Amino acid sequence: MQQPPQQERSPTEFLSNVIGRPVVVKLNSGVDYRGILSCLDGYMNIALEQTEEWVNGQLKNKYGDAFIRGNNVLYISADKTN
Amino acid sequence: MSSATNATNQLLPLELIDKCIGSKIWVIMKSEKEFTGTLLGFDDYVNMVLEDVTEYENTPEGRKTTHLDQILLNGNNITMLIPGGEGPD
Amino acid sequence: MTEETHNAPVEPNAVEEPLDLVRLSLDERIYVKLRGDRELRGKLHAYDGHLNMVLGDVEETITVVEINEETYEEVIRTVKRTSEMLFVRGDGVILVSPPVRTGT
Repeated sequence: MQQPPQQERSPTEFLSNVIGRPVVVKLNSGVDYRGILSCLDGYMNIALEQTEEWVNGQLKNKYGDAFIRGNNVLYISADKTN
Repeated sequence: MSSATNATNQLLPLELIDKCIGSKIWVIMKSEKEFTGTLLGFDDYVNMVLEDVTEYENTPEGRKTTHLDQILLNGNNITMLIPGGEGPD
Repeated sequence: MTEETHNAPVEPNAVEEPLDLVRLSLDERIYVKLRGDRELRGKLHAYDGHLNMVLGDVEETITVVEINEETYEEVIRTVKRTSEMLFVRGDGVILVSPPVRTGT
C-alpha cells in the first residue's frame, strides 16, 4: 500500500507543490483552516480560498478568501500528490 | 560519510538533521505537542517537511493522535529533534 | 535556504502574495479575527506589512466564556461595541477576510 518516501523535499519545494491544492492549516491555538492554498510568503503568511474554520472537529465559519498571519501557523498539511 | 567539512571535525547541529533526511524523526514542540514522521527536508529556520506524520497532542483528557500525509511544520515552536523517531509511548 | 524565491502562480489579476489579499480589500469592509476571542468588522483604511491596520466604522465582538458557579454550565457571552476609527496592532491578528466577492 504505502509508497516509499520521497528522497528529499525542501520546504520551498513542498510549497510550490501544494499551491492551488486543498490544504489544512493548523494554528498553534489548535484551530484548523481547510481551504485551497492560493499563496504564501516567507513569514508563512497564507492566503486561502474557500476557507472553512474548524474548532474541536466542528465547522465554525466559512470565508471566501482568508489571510492568515504566519506567526500563528503550526503546520500546513496536504495529501500526498505523487 | 565524513563530517570533516569544518576544521574541528565536530558535527554541527544542522548537519545532524541533514543526516536524518529520509529517516524517521521525532519532533517535540514548545507546547504539549509532538510529531513523528519521515523527514523529507528542512531549511535554515528548521521549518521541516515531514511525511507519514503522527501528531501527538497531550491534553488533560489524555493523548490524542492524528495521522497526516505530508506537512510543512513551522520551525518557530520546535524545542527538540530526536533522530529515529520512535515517538512518545 | 531559498526563502526569497517562492513560486506564486502567475495569473493576471491573481493574488500572488498573501498581502495582496489585504491590499485588494482597501476601502472595503473586512473581518478580522484577533487573539483573545476578539473579532472586528470595519472598513480597511490602511495597513502595513506587520498587519497593523486602521479600521473605520468598526464593530468589535468579544466572546467571553463564563462558568456558572452553581450549575458549572458554560455560558458564552458576547460583548459588542463600536468605534469610529481604530488602530489594530498587527501582532494580535490571526486572520483577515475580505468581503465575499461574487462567485463564492
